[in-house]
Amino acid sequence: MEILIYGAVTSAIYAMLAVGFTLIFGVARVLNLAHGSFYALGAYGAYVLTSVVGLPLWLAAILAVAGVSLFGVLVEKILIRPLRYSQLGVLMITLAIALVVEQTLFLTFGSEYRNVPAFVDTKINIGGVDVAGQRLLTLVVAGVSISLLYLFIQRTRLGSAILAISQDADAAKYMGIPSDRIFSLVMAISAALAALAGILAGPFLSVQPSMHLLPIVKAFAIVVVGGLGSIPGSILAAFMLGYAETIVAYEISTSWTEIVSVLATLLMLVFRPAGIFGKRTAF
Amino acid sequence: MAALGSLDKLSSTAGLVSLVLLAILPVLAGGSYLVGVLTVAAIYGIWAVSWDFMSGLTGRENFGHSLFIGVGAYAAGFLNVQMGLGPWWSLPASMVLAMFFGLLLGFPTLRLKGPYFALAMLSAAVIMQRLMLIFWEYTGGEEGIQDITPLIRNHLHYYWFVLGVLGLTTWLLAWLARSRWGLILRAIKGDEATCMAAGLPITTYKIISLIISAAFAGLGGALYAHYQLQVSPQLFAVVTSITIITMVYVGGIGTIFGPVGGALLLTMMTEGLRNFGEWRLMIYSVLLILILFFLPNGVVAPVWKKIRAKLSSHARSAGTQAPIDKAAGEV
Repeated sequence: MEILIYGAVTSAIYAMLAVGFTLIFGVARVLNLAHGSFYALGAYGAYVLTSVVGLPLWLAAILAVAGVSLFGVLVEKILIRPLRYSQLGVLMITLAIALVVEQTLFLTFGSEYRNVPAFVDTKINIGGVDVAGQRLLTLVVAGVSISLLYLFIQRTRLGSAILAISQDADAAKYMGIPSDRIFSLVMAISAALAALAGILAGPFLSVQPSMHLLPIVKAFAIVVVGGLGSIPGSILAAFMLGYAETIVAYEISTSWTEIVSVLATLLMLVFRPAGIFGKRTAF
Repeated sequence: MAALGSLDKLSSTAGLVSLVLLAILPVLAGGSYLVGVLTVAAIYGIWAVSWDFMSGLTGRENFGHSLFIGVGAYAAGFLNVQMGLGPWWSLPASMVLAMFFGLLLGFPTLRLKGPYFALAMLSAAVIMQRLMLIFWEYTGGEEGIQDITPLIRNHLHYYWFVLGVLGLTTWLLAWLARSRWGLILRAIKGDEATCMAAGLPITTYKIISLIISAAFAGLGGALYAHYQLQVSPQLFAVVTSITIITMVYVGGIGTIFGPVGGALLLTMMTEGLRNFGEWRLMIYSVLLILILFFLPNGVVAPVWKKIRAKLSSHARSAGTQAPIDKAAGEV
């Protein structure tokens, strides 16, 4: 039972991270190594707005998500777009951005752990297991936000534009879809999801400057398993990885959880590089 | 750009002269502090040139070079401290272990197009750093492994040894880069599909060049371990990789000699910025962003190219004009 619940919470956070990561790749062909920074900035944003400015948490959360989202759009416009012709350039620039963010956080806040307040402090008993309310909230918010994203992409005009670009960017451009504006939009969504994940996970994970690295590693593993650019694939893979890690943590030892993602990545790349739902054309 | 990697008389003379100058610099200027800085600079030179050999030539960027460095350094620490072997064993052992990791990561990822290699290397380095912390009973955790025996006790002699290794590594890799082998690597960067159509086993080429690159990074790691006399998980950090990549970019990617110059230049520069301490990494990251935007060919290699062009037109026997050639290493 513990495995079931904790696995679901871990998976939900991973899914929020991986969906944004894969979305921006699927649409703009941008592999964003600064994705983890959005997650870190979300958590730090909530921390600053609540502990330093003293805003109520819900307002802080909204402002942090909006701020990170804006930051993502600016980064995409100013730094990533000029280098988009070269995949390596994008990788380099996003990694450099990630390090600048990490260093800025380090210089401002130092390397100590910070506390992000939880939305819910009560523990809820499910099937004999005490689960922190915050974890359940994370699960719910992740479910709702990803469903909303799915509906947005499937049902709205803007959503179809996003889909069109991800299928064939050039053709979409010829049909008059303003691809640059769509990229900004996708970047905003992707950054917002990552920031939200950071705020929700902040209370029970460590918030410190180098926290952006593991999410990138996990997001990469998930995206490889699920197929680069595929949203359903990354949700499924997020759950597979989340549960695999939780099971390893309970059955073997927490020490070995970190190996799961790398092992999954390498095995997947050896045996089925396209991922579960990936398109062969990606190679 | 490609021509810069070639071993023409002028470049190799310049390389040799700058090597000699670097060797006598601490004797002239004195001070053990300078020896220390130069030793670190030379080790960074080994790392930068080994990175450039694989990533610069084939265009497959390795974001986890620190993995090989850390593996080499920890191999040295383990053999020396835990197993009590003589320090010289570290050098071959670190190379072999790093090569093994190169094969392990290269085999699944280099077969694929796209960003898999870059990301898998990054992930592997991050995870290795975590593992060093998690299995602290064996690795010493945050503290790492202490009390490693030095290879050579005299600091100046050790500096000369490291400088010698740097010279040999650079010469060997430059020679390889100029050979048919290097030509194929450059061709892979240019157009992979055409190479494949020409019947070249490009995956094998890429994997072997990664293994070569890993071997020298591991060697540099061992040299670093025997210089610092301790190893820590920080060696695996992404920051180490990005520092090296910045050095290569400053030097001029794919030029073999350039990155060595970039490494020397940036290490000296950081020593100059010593007072800024915490800001060092920030400066590196911002520098990298600026170079990506404004000087994609780097600084050292283009400057050397200009000097060389001037020298060749100036006189046929330009190779003897030693004082100016120093620029190749230190511009």
